[in-house]
Amino acid sequence: MQNFKNKLYHYETPPPEDVWKHIAEELQHEKVINLYTRRKSKFLFYGATAAASVVIIFVGSLFFKKNKEPHTIANTETKHELLAQKVKDSINLNQKILESIIHNPQEKKEIISKDLSKTKKYLTVANPEGQPVKISPKVATLIISADHEFPPKPVWSKKIDKWQKIMLASTISPTSVSLIDLVQLAANSENVE
Amino acid sequence: MTAPGNHIPSENDLIKGCIEGDAQMQRLLYQRFSAMMYTVCLRYSENTDDANDVLQEGFIKVYKSLSKFRREGSFEGWVRRIFINTSIEHYRKKVKLYNVTEVQENTIEDDSLDALDSLATKDVLNIINELSPGYKQVFNMHVIEGYSHKEIAELLGITEGTSKSQLARAKSVLKKIIETRAQNSKRSR
Repeated sequence: MQNFKNKLYHYETPPPEDVWKHIAEELQHEKVINLYTRRKSKFLFYGATAAASVVIIFVGSLFFKKNKEPHTIANTETKHELLAQKVKDSINLNQKILESIIHNPQEKKEIISKDLSKTKKYLTVANPEGQPVKISPKVATLIISADHEFPPKPVWSKKIDKWQKIMLASTISPTSVSLIDLVQLAANSENVE
Repeated sequence: MTAPGNHIPSENDLIKGCIEGDAQMQRLLYQRFSAMMYTVCLRYSENTDDANDVLQEGFIKVYKSLSKFRREGSFEGWVRRIFINTSIEHYRKKVKLYNVTEVQENTIEDDSLDALDSLATKDVLNIINELSPGYKQVFNMHVIEGYSHKEIAELLGITEGTSKSQLARAKSVLKKIIETRAQNSKRSR
C-alpha cells in the first residue's frame, strides 16, 4: 500500500518560533529596499532617457551634416564659377568697349547700341576688384557723344577723351563704380594737370 | 476582505493581501503553510539548521513571487514547488552530484518499502533523513513528490540514468536501515 507516502506528504512539523521573526524582519527590510530601488530606478530611467535623446540628436546632426556637406560645397563651387565667368565676361566686354572707344569710334557706337538694344539697357565695366559695375544709358549716351560726329558736343568730347587717356594709362580696369566717380575722377585729373 | 461566515481569510484574500504587502496577511499565509513546508525542508535538508534557513528563504520567495501565480494549479502545490526548488538550490550549493554507473531501477523491489507503512510518520521521516544527501533528494522527489526521472535529472543537473541509480541505491539503503531497526527492536524485547 505504501501509505507512508501520503502521510509524509501531508505531515506537518511546527517550525521554530524565531523563523517567522527573521522572515518578518527580512520583509520589512525588503520594503525599504524596494522604495529606494524604485526611486533610484526612476532617476535612472529619466537620466537614461535624457542621455539617449542627446546621443540620438548628436548622431542625427552628424548624419545630416555629412549628407549636406557635398551638396553645399557643390553649390558654392558653382556660385564661384558663375561669378568668375560673369566677371570675366564683364571685363572682356569692358575692354572691348574701351578699345573701340579709343581706336574705332564707329565700332564703339555699334557695340554700345547693340548692348543698349538688348533688354539690359546698361553697360558693364569692371571695378578695381574686378567686380562688374553697371553704367546707365545716360552715361552710355555721354560716351557715344565723345564721337565728334554725333552729336557735336565738344566740351563733353574733350572731357571724355581725357578720361579715356587716364583709364588707358591705368594698369587696372576702370575704377569708377558710378557716374559720380567718373566725374570726380575727371575733376581730379584736371586739378592735377 | 474575509470569507463570509468566519474570520479566516480566503486563499485569494491571502494572495491579494500579501501582494499588497499587508503584514497581517503575510503572517496568516505563514501560519497556514509553515508546518507543512517545514516537513518538506526537513526531508530535503541535512539538518534542522539548514531546514530553518530553507524555510525562511522559501517564504521570502513565495511573497516575492505571488504576483506570478497564475492560478492554473493548486496554491499549495505552487508553494510546495517553491520550497522543493529552494531546498535543491540550497543543497546544490553544498554538494555536487556526480553521475554514477546506471543500474536497473527495478533491481530493488518496492515491496521492501512496505515496512515503512507500519511505522509512525515521524519515524519514517527520521529513517529517510538517515540517507545520504544524494539519495535523499532523489528518493523524496520521486517517491514522495512524484517527480519523473526526467524532471529530477533537469532539476538536479544529472542524467536520468543517474537519477534511477540513486533511487535504486536509496531504496537498498532504506531496506537495510529498516531491517537493522527491526533486528534491534527484537533484541531489545
